[in-house]
Amino acid sequence: MTPATKRGFSPRALIGENRPTLWIAPLLTVVTLFYLYPAFEVLRYSITNASLLEPNYEYTLDTFTQVLSDPVLYKVLRTTAIFVVASIVLQLLLGLVIALAVNRATRRRLPGMVFMRSLVLSAWVMPGVVIGVVWAIVLNDADYGLANLLLGAVGLGSVPWLSTPSTALMSVVIANVWRGTAFSMILLYAGLQSVPEELYEAAEVDGARTLQSFWYITLPQLRPILMINIILITISTLNTFDMILPLTGGGPGQATEVLALRTYNVIFQNYSLAGGSVLAVVMLGIAMALTLIYQRLLRSGGSL
Amino acid sequence: MKSRKAQNRVGDALTYLVFLFALLFFGGPLLWLLSLSIRTQQEIFITSLRLIPENPTFENYTEVLYTAQFSVFLLNSLKLALAGSIGAIVVSAPAAYAFSRLTFRGNTLFLVGVLGLQMISPLVVVIPLYRYFDRLNLVDSHFSTAMVYIAILVPLATWMLKGFFDGVPPALDEAAMVDGCTRFGAFLRVSLPLILPGLTSTFVLTAILAWGEFVVPYVLLSEPSLFPISIGILNFQGNYASNSTNVLAAGGVLAMLPAIATFVILQRFIVRALTSGAIKG
Repeated sequence: MTPATKRGFSPRALIGENRPTLWIAPLLTVVTLFYLYPAFEVLRYSITNASLLEPNYEYTLDTFTQVLSDPVLYKVLRTTAIFVVASIVLQLLLGLVIALAVNRATRRRLPGMVFMRSLVLSAWVMPGVVIGVVWAIVLNDADYGLANLLLGAVGLGSVPWLSTPSTALMSVVIANVWRGTAFSMILLYAGLQSVPEELYEAAEVDGARTLQSFWYITLPQLRPILMINIILITISTLNTFDMILPLTGGGPGQATEVLALRTYNVIFQNYSLAGGSVLAVVMLGIAMALTLIYQRLLRSGGSL
Repeated sequence: MKSRKAQNRVGDALTYLVFLFALLFFGGPLLWLLSLSIRTQQEIFITSLRLIPENPTFENYTEVLYTAQFSVFLLNSLKLALAGSIGAIVVSAPAAYAFSRLTFRGNTLFLVGVLGLQMISPLVVVIPLYRYFDRLNLVDSHFSTAMVYIAILVPLATWMLKGFFDGVPPALDEAAMVDGCTRFGAFLRVSLPLILPGLTSTFVLTAILAWGEFVVPYVLLSEPSLFPISIGILNFQGNYASNSTNVLAAGGVLAMLPAIATFVILQRFIVRALTSGAIKG
């Protein structure tokens, strides 16, 4: 290479080995093609009347007003909110209880801890569709439905888990909690291990009972992790629809049709690319808001 | 006041009570699936809680593998998962290295932006891509599907790998560069080998996520011979008669086994990576 070309079109300042350009170029390309471009396109489609069936479309705000004034949207948002809130509450509670047990078992070297942790995490690494299939079998009304067999064994009547609107939503929540608890457990377990032992020792010297030290030491110490956990559960639950398809398919009626599933159905069942894009914009908006909150939490160590 | 010993005994009992509940709630459905998968058709409808059937059989597995083409779906999933996770690492590793080692304007901002991408649902991404690929004749191709897998895995891979590079002292690279290595050479020959455990956990975690990926292939693939297992099993469930739940159960076992087995064998790596990543951000 001659000195002339060095000073020419490829200035060292931009692509030298100690400059980030070449290092992050592959990442930038992927992000631009598969995130920025699609996000921009979704925004653009949302102000058109585009359909999957026709190649041509016009720009209009009608789709936006149509989708936003459709009562179905509010039913879907309500279902989604119940799904998300119930999942957060149950996953945090169950995750915390199991994390406390695993933590205690680790400290006291009780056998069975690794097995327990592996079992809970196994549910988390399974493909979402398979989780839906498993629960569709377990909650089935037919003779092979494990849940009703168990209820029968303890003398209770069977429950129509998947065939009435209110029980179907509950079933979807149960399956989602089964899937997501592992994640909360792992985060909270790591959090428990980082609580300084001296705090508990000091509390014991002061005569605190177990419950008191849990309430006044453990919970406040876990606060940042609990907040981060809530955001992450919200995001993963909002994006969930793989598990719902084999479990209820969104039904009965529209009882378990959450926002992500609705978006999919509007585009690929009703062929309304514009309508689905409006819903996707709603999803993007929620994701952006949550991301901002998440960053704030990370920076401030747990307080908003 | 109760003695220390008695208190410990109560605590241990409570711990095992929680374990028992978790065993039933998390293990129960999995055991039931296994049990159904080795039953004959007559034995699906017995109204009892027996786990081991009277005439255990593996025929359901052969049926689902060969008649229902699950062998093809499993192979497709493997291909896509490997392409996705290896591709994501190839794209992310240099960027993660730059974020860890080089000082430049916007470093942190860019890194946080990459994390933000993870919040975007793959569904949102795949809507315009479907149209875009359709026009380029790229629908129904493992290549274009794998590209989207890579994109979806890149944010997680970048964050994980950046954390691992942070754990390697920069002095090692600098020493190699003093000895005549280029920076890229130092990255390739010094830093990368040193984060091998980290590379492993990133690979395992992204491969498991890719194995379970659903919405991307669901939208971009329509040719059954290209389907990964997640779509294959959904279609099978939609078409099967309720009296062959035993075959569906065998399919379910086959679909989850690779992910669970990989995870259980390599969980030491993953659990550590998950916790450090999430807490650091």
